[in-house]
Amino acid sequence: MGNVIEIEHLTKNYGKNRGVTDVSLTVKEGDIFGFLGPNGAGKSTTIRSMMGFLKFDKGSIKILGMDSVKDREKILANVGYMPSEAWFYDSMKVSEVIAYAADIRGLDCREEAGKLCERLKVNTDKKIRELSYGNKKKVSIVCAMQHKPKLFIFDEPTGGLDPLMQRSFFELITEYVDKGATCLLSTHVLSEVNKYCKSAAIMREGKLTMLESPDIDDDEFLKFYEDSEEDA
Amino acid sequence: MKKIFLKELKMNLKTLLIWSLSVGGMGLACILLYSSMEGEMKDMADAFSHMGSFSDAFGMSTLSIATLKGYFATEVGAVHGLGGSMFAALIGAGMLSKEEELHTGEFLYSFPVSRKKIVAAKALCIFAMLIMFTLICAGLYASGFAALGEDLPVKEFMKYMGMQFLLDTEIAGICFAISSLSSKTKTGLALGTALMCYAYDIIGRVVPDVKDYLFIGPFSYSNASDIFSGADTEIKGIVFGTALTVLLVVFSFVYYDKRDLAS
Repeated sequence: MGNVIEIEHLTKNYGKNRGVTDVSLTVKEGDIFGFLGPNGAGKSTTIRSMMGFLKFDKGSIKILGMDSVKDREKILANVGYMPSEAWFYDSMKVSEVIAYAADIRGLDCREEAGKLCERLKVNTDKKIRELSYGNKKKVSIVCAMQHKPKLFIFDEPTGGLDPLMQRSFFELITEYVDKGATCLLSTHVLSEVNKYCKSAAIMREGKLTMLESPDIDDDEFLKFYEDSEEDA
Repeated sequence: MKKIFLKELKMNLKTLLIWSLSVGGMGLACILLYSSMEGEMKDMADAFSHMGSFSDAFGMSTLSIATLKGYFATEVGAVHGLGGSMFAALIGAGMLSKEEELHTGEFLYSFPVSRKKIVAAKALCIFAMLIMFTLICAGLYASGFAALGEDLPVKEFMKYMGMQFLLDTEIAGICFAISSLSSKTKTGLALGTALMCYAYDIIGRVVPDVKDYLFIGPFSYSNASDIFSGADTEIKGIVFGTALTVLLVVFSFVYYDKRDLAS
């Protein structure tokens, strides 16, 4: 199986603030890759560099065999992204947001969107401004999945979702991955990584450490957080 | 790109209607008030035309406010000039920065559309809104002339509305560039820019030393009194304004494409 994500020596600085330093990472096709780490460790910076939101200083990122800078549009056509905070245009209805996300891609995703809304119990008649945090997250999941991308990039996706929805979410990921997709999952929840991920890495202070197995225990996991707190 | 353009237009429709009906409505009300003030206007016109620099600054030395044409140029000219430039400043200032300020950027920029195309769609939306704003206001002013049974000085009126559109485009261009620099909408700076340009024009018409540099400001070529009195339009003002607008829009494209986006 080929690599869907290949990051080599990625470095991103924010002036005085730390970004990420010399991060190298590969994610294989069909993987559910757990991306762990404390707040401010650099997970979102890495993800946002992959998505082209940030201009990185050094290194290279290849996604689906394409250069993340030169081939950004082609890459994003095959990526389903869910940010850690789900924000949409307040005045739009849920159905309008979902249709808009499909229209911009030039796709008719009504069938898939309908299935996803049913599975996640999304009320498409409501306006975005009327939704709770969790319900906005569900809309974000639909927007990320409806075009059946080859790669999912989820940044802390389960925050705000109730346990039933969390289960439905992971069932959906597993189904898409079984059909050939790949998933990068940034999370703080170790149990999600233990249960669903095939490989994992942990970030701390802008540097990445690959884990031999995603099945790490709580003590080992929390050690990364404690060390990080002490250093802070 | 078309979808983004249409979405922007739809989302800004309410703002467009509020501003165009407010500015156009105020202008229309001013025109309709003319008939009830016509009698008193003759004395006022005499007084206003002999106030030295003040009369020059507001165009009352070249046009009589006792005529509807002169009244339109001095009164409605100020209302439309200020209102239109403030509207242009507001839509220009928020168009790019609102995506980061309202945290919708990560949704929009995760689509397979380049930043340049998104900036182009947003710039086109501003352009379209300014056209609609100008047309709505022009329609309201023309209906005011019709309601009073007065002939509309078509040539001057068309030239005036065209120059006002150019003025609004320049102000929007300046504020669009400001918007590309920041992740927060600089409403105060945008409105300040429009008001400063207006103030610069007034000062330039009063202070002799500044007169030679009046063309730098966008109100120089769009001055209603100059246009309705048949004075020659300063071509260098139009050239300077157009060049500045193009330069700032190009800058917005280049800079926005290269910078980090806030989450």
